[in-house]
Amino acid sequence: MDMTAIFGDYTAIAPMLILIVGALILPGIQLLSKNRTATWAVALVLVIASIAVNAMLIAEEFTGKAFDLYTYDAYTGLMVLIFQVVLFLGVLVSNASIETTRLHVGAYYALLLGATTGMMFVAGSMDLVSIFIGVELTSISSYALVSLKRKDSRAAEAAVKYVIIGGMSTALTIYGISMLYGLTGTTVINDIAAQTQLTGMNWMFAIALVSMIAGYGFKIAAVPFHMWAPDVYEGASTPVSMFLATGSKKMGLGVFFQIFLIMFVSGTACSAIAGPEVQYLFAIIAAFTMTVGNVVAIAQNNIKRMLAYSSIAQAGYILIVMAVMSEYALAGGLFHMFTHVFMKGGAFLIVGALICAGIGEKISDYRGLAKRAPFLAFAMMLFLFSLAGIPPLAGFTSKFFLFSSAIGSLDGVTSQWVWLAFIAILNSAISLYYYARVVKAMYVEKGTSTEKVSIPAPFMVAIVICVVAVIVLGVYPQIVFDLCEAAAAAMFA
Amino acid sequence: MDIPILSLLIVVPLIGAIATLFMGGEKQKYAKVVAGVFSAITLVLALLVLFADDMGALAESYAWIQTSAIAISFTLAVDGLSVLMVFLTALLVLLVVILSAEEEDRPNYFHALLLAMEVGLMGVYMAADYFLFYVMWEVTLIPMYFMISWYGGPRRHYAAIKFFIYTHVASLVMLIGIFAMAFEAAQITGTGVVDFAFSVINPAIAGASEMFQVLVFALLFFGFAVKMPVVPFHTWLPDAHTEAPTGGSVLLAGVMLKMGSYGIIRICLEALPLGAEYWQWVVIAIALLSIVYGAYGCIAQTDLKKMVAFSSISHMGMVMLGIGCLSEAGVTFAIFQMFAHGLITAILFMVCGMTGHKVGTREIPLLGGLAGRMPMYALFMMIGFMASLGLPGLVGFWGEFPVIFAFYEFVIANDALWLILFCLLSLMLTAGYYLWAMQRTLFGPETTKIDLTHAHDVSKTEGIALAVLVVLVAFFGVWPDAALSFIEPYVSALANMGVVI
Repeated sequence: MDMTAIFGDYTAIAPMLILIVGALILPGIQLLSKNRTATWAVALVLVIASIAVNAMLIAEEFTGKAFDLYTYDAYTGLMVLIFQVVLFLGVLVSNASIETTRLHVGAYYALLLGATTGMMFVAGSMDLVSIFIGVELTSISSYALVSLKRKDSRAAEAAVKYVIIGGMSTALTIYGISMLYGLTGTTVINDIAAQTQLTGMNWMFAIALVSMIAGYGFKIAAVPFHMWAPDVYEGASTPVSMFLATGSKKMGLGVFFQIFLIMFVSGTACSAIAGPEVQYLFAIIAAFTMTVGNVVAIAQNNIKRMLAYSSIAQAGYILIVMAVMSEYALAGGLFHMFTHVFMKGGAFLIVGALICAGIGEKISDYRGLAKRAPFLAFAMMLFLFSLAGIPPLAGFTSKFFLFSSAIGSLDGVTSQWVWLAFIAILNSAISLYYYARVVKAMYVEKGTSTEKVSIPAPFMVAIVICVVAVIVLGVYPQIVFDLCEAAAAAMFA
Repeated sequence: MDIPILSLLIVVPLIGAIATLFMGGEKQKYAKVVAGVFSAITLVLALLVLFADDMGALAESYAWIQTSAIAISFTLAVDGLSVLMVFLTALLVLLVVILSAEEEDRPNYFHALLLAMEVGLMGVYMAADYFLFYVMWEVTLIPMYFMISWYGGPRRHYAAIKFFIYTHVASLVMLIGIFAMAFEAAQITGTGVVDFAFSVINPAIAGASEMFQVLVFALLFFGFAVKMPVVPFHTWLPDAHTEAPTGGSVLLAGVMLKMGSYGIIRICLEALPLGAEYWQWVVIAIALLSIVYGAYGCIAQTDLKKMVAFSSISHMGMVMLGIGCLSEAGVTFAIFQMFAHGLITAILFMVCGMTGHKVGTREIPLLGGLAGRMPMYALFMMIGFMASLGLPGLVGFWGEFPVIFAFYEFVIANDALWLILFCLLSLMLTAGYYLWAMQRTLFGPETTKIDLTHAHDVSKTEGIALAVLVVLVAFFGVWPDAALSFIEPYVSALANMGVVI
């Protein structure tokens, strides 16, 4: 099917438009029908439609612009796909989860769709201002999503924390952007790159960069800007936590790729100006992020907090891309982002499903789960081992590409980042310890109850999707990795 | 029609593992039959490979992951180094299935884990692509983890997690070495693709700079040495063995430890000859340390099984000593020792497992005079101990003494004759601890410290498993050429490449 024939000038933003329409009509549908299942069904249909359109665009290798503001290419297509999958998993389970069905469902789905629209908008933006707008759309929707569970004091605390820290990071970002605009007279990233190449590095530019790195560092919960994440993921309802941990974090990482890689690599300004210093800065942030995430995760007894810290660590792994700054690294990073959706998303979904079945969030609540819910325990084990990077699961394959990019390239071994690869690999080993603790609780320890667990069907569907993806992407990653390579090539073109 | 026999060696146990996994409830008791059938088919396939006219022609290769920068293939091959290990794996898995016929605690999972382990082991020994090699290397971990933590002894949780993390860390270090080799090879060959096949990387890296080989050798050697294990990376092994169920111990010591020495020969020697030369003395020092420390450790043990675990460290040190000589004789008999130790240690762990099972304790001081009540058990234990201490006529002799002889040549050439004393010391210690243990366990007055009324002799299934091993131990002891005829062509090929002298 030719998408341009249907959507014309709007083809590039077609997947987004569907969600925008959804975000606008869903509260109305809920208001008129008073039936939350109907609202859910409409939301789900729209999400699937949006995925279908995007899949078509990817399949026909569409590239195009909308209003000189939004560029759709292989990179955008892949990122949009990632966000859509997260959204799909989130929406799919929301009507079955006791945590989300008591909310204002019209607003809830509208916010989910709105937040995703923001992410998708960011993925196609090559201008600091439009990136800023997209990020804010996502952030403000997320604040509301967290605070929807307002009767829960943990959620309220999480929401307040999230808003205050989010606001501060926004301020930092806009400060950096305004300085860059003052220096270069433009907000288009490519133009900024070209300008700074002429003028060279100066301290104003450095301050602007640092405040932008800090500002967006909050969004991806990079150390030392990570403190909010565990509280928010713990406080929010589990489908929302899943959405934030796997979706909005990737938007932040996308922003890093789009702003800094373009500025330093595509603009070929890397060696000319701040290249090596910025690369080292990113390497240090990456090393600290993965180490702090993993080490603190060991001490957690609440599984949602543990997963939150593990997400921090995973973001640290992906930041290796920012240190290495090669096309191959970016392909590996994107692939890891893709696999992370299923393994981390799957783990959160199981937590959410078990909450519906009356099982708590403590790791000790998972004792003896293998007897009570053999499939869920097995799936959880797959997700956790995949996160730890045990072959032949998806997490291993993506880490294989990502970590290897720090060791070398076609030009042989580059000793510069070998230390980073060592730290990353050491971290993988540390992470195995706390993942294995959960596996041990499920499989080895005896639980207090032997009652069988049954979970709502939508959760089962979502979890099965994740299980299949984690295995298939591990054993046969070819198709998705091709997409990632194309995306990386588009970024470096 | 060509049968993809090597792929089948992986696929058959995989199907078996999945089949037994789902045999819950009433069907549980048939799991052992299904596992037996699948492992028997695997053994037949392994024998077909062993007696194939041209092993090289069996190699298979399928494209797996091809990107613009990376080529990963599913490539399997066997040669003189791997074929004995493939045979040993298939044999031991079948024997463990026979031995564990009486396992009553969730037998379906037990057999699924066994067969899953076989998948990984077969994969490691046949892989000819670094990606596949690493994947299979890690695939062996998880079944063993569950084997220990579900079916193990009282401290199984601790032992299982220690085993898991210790060896996982080591393999991650190895992975870094693999990355480095792959990228360096891509640069040397200049094909513009990072190809992970052994046939691309090994020859290319063998020509890399000495500095590179030295560093990468250290990374890979660490990964393999932990698996073997050698002192000072051995601490996970006694715990894992003490707590593992008998079947798990047999596979762990019989074939899993050999993954380490196999990796050293396959990768560290084939691809990194300059590195091997550079580190030769370190390898020898570690080997001697393991041989003596392992043997010394045996004397101190009161748990029969833990003693055998320590003896594994000593015997795997012997393998490493043979490798460290970097001579044709040394490597040849190191490989033979891998095979020999696999057979012998399987007997030892089976016998030790039985001790705990039948008598109720493995504590040597509590045992005594068991020979009267359990004559068959005593016979098997004696044969195992004698084979292990290197009695001529049994397979262990051909593993140890030629290695010591090769080492003797090496120390003469290097004016360090005194080093041979370590070997002699270990021989004495080995003979000492085995005889002492045997005397305290089997002979003398029957023990009164424990209740022996329920002690019973070797059962029929256990007897079959042990008898097969004893026959092989004697067969290869009398006619070592049967195994050496596989090893020698491989080692002379190494010599032609200039890897060994």
